[in-house]
Amino acid sequence: MTALAQATLYGLLQGGLLALVAVGFSLVWGVMNIINVAQGAFVILGAYVAWELNSALGLDPFLGMFGAAAVLFVLGYVVQRGLINLIVNAPIYLTLLLTFGLDLMLVQGMNIAFTADFRSIPTSYAGNSIALGDVRVPLGRLLAFAVAVAVTLLLVAMVNRTRTGLSIMATGMDRGAARLMGIRARHVYALTFGLSAALAGMAGAMVGTVGTFNPAAAGGYTLLSFVVAVLGGLGNMYGALVGGLVIGLVEAWAGQYLSGTWVNAFAFLALIVVLVLRPSGLVGRAFYATRVEV
Amino acid sequence: MGASSAEISAPARAETATARPRARARWRRLLPWAAGVLVLLACLGLQTQLYTGQERTVTTIFMFVALAQAWNIIGGFAGYASFGQVVFFGIGGYSTAVVMYHLQLNFWLALVLSGLLAAAFGALIGLPLLRLKGHYFAIATLGVAEGMREVVNNVPGLTGGGAGISIPTVGPRASTPYLGNDGFYILFLLLAALAVLVGGLVSRSKFGLALRAINQDEDAAGSMGVNTTRVKVAAFTLSGFLVGLVGASYAFQQVTIFPERLFDVDITVLMVMMVVIGGSGTVLGPLLGAVGLQYVSEYLRQHYTDLHTFILGAIIIAAVVLVPQGVVTYAREATRTRDFSLLGNVRRYRL
Amino acid sequence: MRLSTLLVITSACALALSGCGSKGAAQSDAGSDTLTLGAAVSLTGKLAREGGLTKEGYELCQSKVNAAGGVPVGGKKLKLDIQYQDDTSKPDTAAQLVEQFNDKDVKLILSSYGSANSEAQAAVVERNGQVMADSAGADNKIFEKGYRRTFAVLSPATEYLASIVKSIAELAKPKPKTIAFVSADDGFSKTATEGGIAEATKQGFTVLPAQYVPNGTSDVSSALTKLKGQRPDVIIGSVHLVEGIAIIKQAHELGVTPSGGFGESVAPPTPDFAKTLGGQAENVLGSSQWTDTVKGQDKYFGTAKQYSDDIQAKYGHLPDYHDAEATAACLALVLAAEKAGSTEPDKVRDALAGLDTESFFGRIKFDQTGKNVSKPMSVIQIQDGKAVTVWPTEAAESKFVWPGAKQ
Repeated sequence: MTALAQATLYGLLQGGLLALVAVGFSLVWGVMNIINVAQGAFVILGAYVAWELNSALGLDPFLGMFGAAAVLFVLGYVVQRGLINLIVNAPIYLTLLLTFGLDLMLVQGMNIAFTADFRSIPTSYAGNSIALGDVRVPLGRLLAFAVAVAVTLLLVAMVNRTRTGLSIMATGMDRGAARLMGIRARHVYALTFGLSAALAGMAGAMVGTVGTFNPAAAGGYTLLSFVVAVLGGLGNMYGALVGGLVIGLVEAWAGQYLSGTWVNAFAFLALIVVLVLRPSGLVGRAFYATRVEV
Repeated sequence: MGASSAEISAPARAETATARPRARARWRRLLPWAAGVLVLLACLGLQTQLYTGQERTVTTIFMFVALAQAWNIIGGFAGYASFGQVVFFGIGGYSTAVVMYHLQLNFWLALVLSGLLAAAFGALIGLPLLRLKGHYFAIATLGVAEGMREVVNNVPGLTGGGAGISIPTVGPRASTPYLGNDGFYILFLLLAALAVLVGGLVSRSKFGLALRAINQDEDAAGSMGVNTTRVKVAAFTLSGFLVGLVGASYAFQQVTIFPERLFDVDITVLMVMMVVIGGSGTVLGPLLGAVGLQYVSEYLRQHYTDLHTFILGAIIIAAVVLVPQGVVTYAREATRTRDFSLLGNVRRYRL
Repeated sequence: MRLSTLLVITSACALALSGCGSKGAAQSDAGSDTLTLGAAVSLTGKLAREGGLTKEGYELCQSKVNAAGGVPVGGKKLKLDIQYQDDTSKPDTAAQLVEQFNDKDVKLILSSYGSANSEAQAAVVERNGQVMADSAGADNKIFEKGYRRTFAVLSPATEYLASIVKSIAELAKPKPKTIAFVSADDGFSKTATEGGIAEATKQGFTVLPAQYVPNGTSDVSSALTKLKGQRPDVIIGSVHLVEGIAIIKQAHELGVTPSGGFGESVAPPTPDFAKTLGGQAENVLGSSQWTDTVKGQDKYFGTAKQYSDDIQAKYGHLPDYHDAEATAACLALVLAAEKAGSTEPDKVRDALAGLDTESFFGRIKFDQTGKNVSKPMSVIQIQDGKAVTVWPTEAAESKFVWPGAKQ
């Protein structure tokens, strides 16, 4: 019983981290119908930025994550404004290819700049855990989970209360109408992508603290983002959180009752089952799958 | 897209004209097939000129031509961009490996069997998955591919799991002698030719028209009497069959196969890239895309050992931004409208 | 339609023409005073880290041999030249590159990193009549296929965990009772696990059922949670770097504290391990193909310590055993060419088969299948953040610290 409780708790915490990795991906896809295959590369880049800040300035990664967010925001804004905006009206899977090319460049760039060494951001506390009875709660992951939840709530608040957030959602619902209302779509798109990249950067700082990373890890995080975002559903800011928690739990339970190697198979099985039964994801909004853009 | 309008207009024009233009129209229609046969012969002749390593490179090009053409059927004509197409590749490969290893079956039988198994799988998952649209379909198929890889990984008794499985090519357990580089060159050339042939036939048939109709407006197509479900599943199954054949041949060529290679998502991405950069929905597009992209990535890898991925990424970005509709479609439209401006392309598609 | 047909015909002619051009471009050897070796290494992809270290090892070999004047082959001194290609960590690319080397008449091959790549290359080498010195493919299965042209300088996979088990059996007081194995599910790790379980059973330990984790995963929590309830005395991991680091980190998080601590196959000897884990890595055992206390020396690299200093000087970091095994493979080919007095692949092959020499890497002598069974693996332990040799005791730099003795 303890093993199950431990696995459940660990799965939930892991799920929170996955949610943070995927939330930016979900945002960009939901609002702009763009699949960012370079999401994993953004995450790892954020990890490297936080690592550099830590080794150069001794900055704790939970503070360094803001630095990573800032750097990634600028990168994301420039990439959207300068590159992706150029093919927004072309068939949708072209953005996939563009971001794939971007991913190749980023991963190889990091390989050359930082070498393929495995790194981890050292902290004095992240590896420790608090004991709740027989179950251990790892501190680093708990903090990452807290950050993920906080970020999701902030995102929901921003989208519902601030002008910028409203303009992002409006542009996502109907770009033509939004432009007619005076919203500068190019700028809003760039803002959204920048925001998504910033979130990925923060996730990267978390990932770097609780685990190890190197450039080759980027692909795995992109795949995870796909699964979590789609499982949770698009168009709803809580989607990534829900998707992440579900995947975290499914993997943890599968790992307990079967050989550890079945974990990934079950994650994908969960994805397919959800998609077949509920095509827009667990909490997603249905119309996002069939929008027509102007 | 340009192909269909030319074909529809050519017979229409011929009908209302005299005998000489009718003969000219028929000659014009046969020309692509004649050109195809010419290319096939050229490739056979090419084989005598190549070294082993170059032969392998060209063999890989043929493999991707076949894969790209197969993807084009579901992704290009029908517009259902499948991102898990590699699952058929893996199923084809592993079926062959498993029956040759455990049952010592002859390769040629295994080849056909693998194609049929892959097609059956396509029909099976096509039914539930083809109800999804756009990106959701793409991700669902990706999930199937990744999931299948994990399943194969986890039945080591059958498939060897992560340790891989080796097709016996020497000794008493070998059922078919190893084809050798020359043999595989011919095999993949024939597969590529088959794929192009199928692509061409689909393109000009009522089936192809139905697929294109579904791509443009599925509901309208349905109301015009097209049984969209049957047509989509048929396209998916056909595509799966071709990819399965290629996968089976690949497995035999590699002798030892691993799940992460046979179900590698990179293979799907390459397929998609070749079709899109070449020109989706055409027959020539995937062909040129496959040749061009393979050649470029091979060249870069040999001459820029440290930077080749970086440069390839930059080239892909440039190609997608400047020629988003694909090289062949761009060329056709540009010669038709006499407007060759690439920047005009950008202006048309940007936000 | 006309345009596309024109395109088709043009490309067909271009294909045919390019075909005509290739025969004339035959690459001849850059004079007969170089010994050319072909090396397809993983410079990008998931094996980039280890591939980079492998390339370092080959490069050092090249510079040292040329600094000594070259390879004395049949009365002449040949300059050593190594041609590199990137196999992007994929076995089929690695195999294809060996074919391309064969086209360019490069018959002597240095392997890529890892058992998957090396196995694919070995098949091609066998078919083409080339010769390969395997630096990093340890899976015993490569050598059970009847290949005669691949020679591995490193100890086979089964030794990786068996050596750790042997060191525990010999030096741990009080001797632990139960051992649990956590293994990645790729071929090499599974073979190593088999070897470890066999040795542990032979030494009289109780072996718990092995837990398997996906290859390359950074989350081994399910395996550890299952083991926590079974309370093993020692946990031994048959894993690579990522899983290896994850085991220690997550065991700490989950409160899995076996009294005898941890041992792992590939991860602990690498500098990344101690660096990323800090204090948690203390007293973890690891098996290594080579450490700088290994006995033996040769005319190009001197002793193990001298080799270590050379790597430090050239690359700014202490050598990993991946560097050393790569250099050793290059060394084997060089010595074989010298012994054969020729660069003909068949003569080099026979010379390699009969090679028996000491080197900075240890003894290099191959058995009939091409494995190097005359070199024992070393067991290291992380003490004060550094990997020090603790077994075999003749080569030990430091005393074996047994966490279980503190009870």
